[in-house]
Amino acid sequence: MRPLVLFAAVCVLAGCGSSASPDHSKPLLIVVNAPFSRTPYLGQAIENGARLAAAEVNATGISIGGERYTLTIRIADSGPAPARAVANVRRAVDDRAVAIVDEGTGIDASWSVAARKSVPICVVFEGGREVVDPVRRPNVFRIAPTDHGVAFRLAEYLLPKGLKVALLHDDSDYGTAGAAELDRAFSQNRASVAIDETVPADSLDLGPQVLRARRARATALLVWGRPATISAALTAARSAGWNVPVYTPPTGADPFVRQQLADHPEWVDGLTFAGGRLTAEVGSAPFRTFEQKYESAYGIDSVGVKTRGGDAVVEPPETAMYAYDFVNLLAAAILKAASRDPAKITAALEEVTTEGANGDERAFNRHNHDGVVDDDVYFARFHDMTYAPVKDDPLSAALPTIPQTR
Amino acid sequence: MTRPAKPLPLIALLAACLVTVAACGGEKDKEGSTKACGTPEPAMKSPPNLPGNFPDAQGVVYTGLRKQGPTTVATGYINQTIGPARDAYTNAVNGASGYAVTKHEQDVADAEVNFTGAGNSGQVKLTQECRDRTNVTITIRPA
Repeated sequence: MRPLVLFAAVCVLAGCGSSASPDHSKPLLIVVNAPFSRTPYLGQAIENGARLAAAEVNATGISIGGERYTLTIRIADSGPAPARAVANVRRAVDDRAVAIVDEGTGIDASWSVAARKSVPICVVFEGGREVVDPVRRPNVFRIAPTDHGVAFRLAEYLLPKGLKVALLHDDSDYGTAGAAELDRAFSQNRASVAIDETVPADSLDLGPQVLRARRARATALLVWGRPATISAALTAARSAGWNVPVYTPPTGADPFVRQQLADHPEWVDGLTFAGGRLTAEVGSAPFRTFEQKYESAYGIDSVGVKTRGGDAVVEPPETAMYAYDFVNLLAAAILKAASRDPAKITAALEEVTTEGANGDERAFNRHNHDGVVDDDVYFARFHDMTYAPVKDDPLSAALPTIPQTR
Repeated sequence: MTRPAKPLPLIALLAACLVTVAACGGEKDKEGSTKACGTPEPAMKSPPNLPGNFPDAQGVVYTGLRKQGPTTVATGYINQTIGPARDAYTNAVNGASGYAVTKHEQDVADAEVNFTGAGNSGQVKLTQECRDRTNVTITIRPA
């Protein structure tokens, strides 16, 4: 029994996974709603980014009307199920959360649950068009590249090359939303689309679909789906000896892709993904500072693979950066609202600006609840299990490479 | 096998180099905005019809227009420094019916004005390359 009692005592002291609150302060609850069981890397990144910002905010504290408050983080596993994500949001609202940091699963239903109490939700992963709408969903914000921005930037990058593009997308929510944006982005240039295929999200073998793309004389594969879909498409193409260039949305950089292909690192070489830029015009110093703080607090995000030279590969904390930036914006909004009333905080989120972890300004306004603009989408290409910005795109060519080995 | 730990002084030196390089970028920007301007690119014979009747900022001179896949990119310049050039575009966008500025930002010698309107969205990128001229790149993509 003694170990159990000791564990319980530790839990009480540590707030059972919540950020510790200094004495005499009241908690302001932030719930992180993410698929911890389905995609642990993603969930952990969101949680860590939120916790890091909360710890920094709590170091100075938030004072409202003479009362001192601290931000408290609680995690909720949305698993793969939208229904579970919605239930998590319902509980967060019942528990008087001041905000929800959300991966985006189930947002089409959960936003209205939170809206009943005007609780702001910030999505830090899903980029779908319908997720954010300042008029219809005034309590929903996003800090993550939009699918629209990624799809159009990919079209702007690929079409001038004269490629015949095979569009493959999986049937997950993420893949379906991406397919809709790819359809818009390539609608004026359908002659450049060799084939447009929907593939099953959990399929390990995409050989038949990739073969159809090859037979359609595609000269590029654009694969929009979960990391497993991307690794399956790469496996199908490369194992068939087809060295076609492969392009992806941000999920191409998910560590899972490299883990799955660890036995064939040469298959990853050349994989090009579109993602949100990690550095601003001021250079890489702000992001590197954030990265150092992140690693000091939580350690490195190991990809689980090594370069040919034997160096361990780490993943820069991009998604964590978005969660971190939102919690800082939230703290600024709470101070501006001078209230813990979620309605006032939601309104204030349209009026505050903070410096993001990458040195860029983060802000929303009444016209725009997206914190990452489409023109900040860049392209990076893998070589030796790490990636670097490409040189044949003006924005990307101006960006530094973030070191990814330790 | 255990890899030897990297010596801390080397890491500190690398960090210092990074900060220096980042700072140099800012200095280069400042230098660019103080040098005398050369001859500008020739103006287009007639102002382009931009998608959605995207508004012209006061004083803008267009030098080029191209399609980049689904997206239209117009280039030009304004004979102003970066601050007034940015103001010219925020005023033009906010003053155009159906348009709104979604985000704007300004650094030492560059600025961005992001917009939405007329079924499009995009960005005006402004870069002050010399003392009193700011280059303009307008990216307009279907929303």
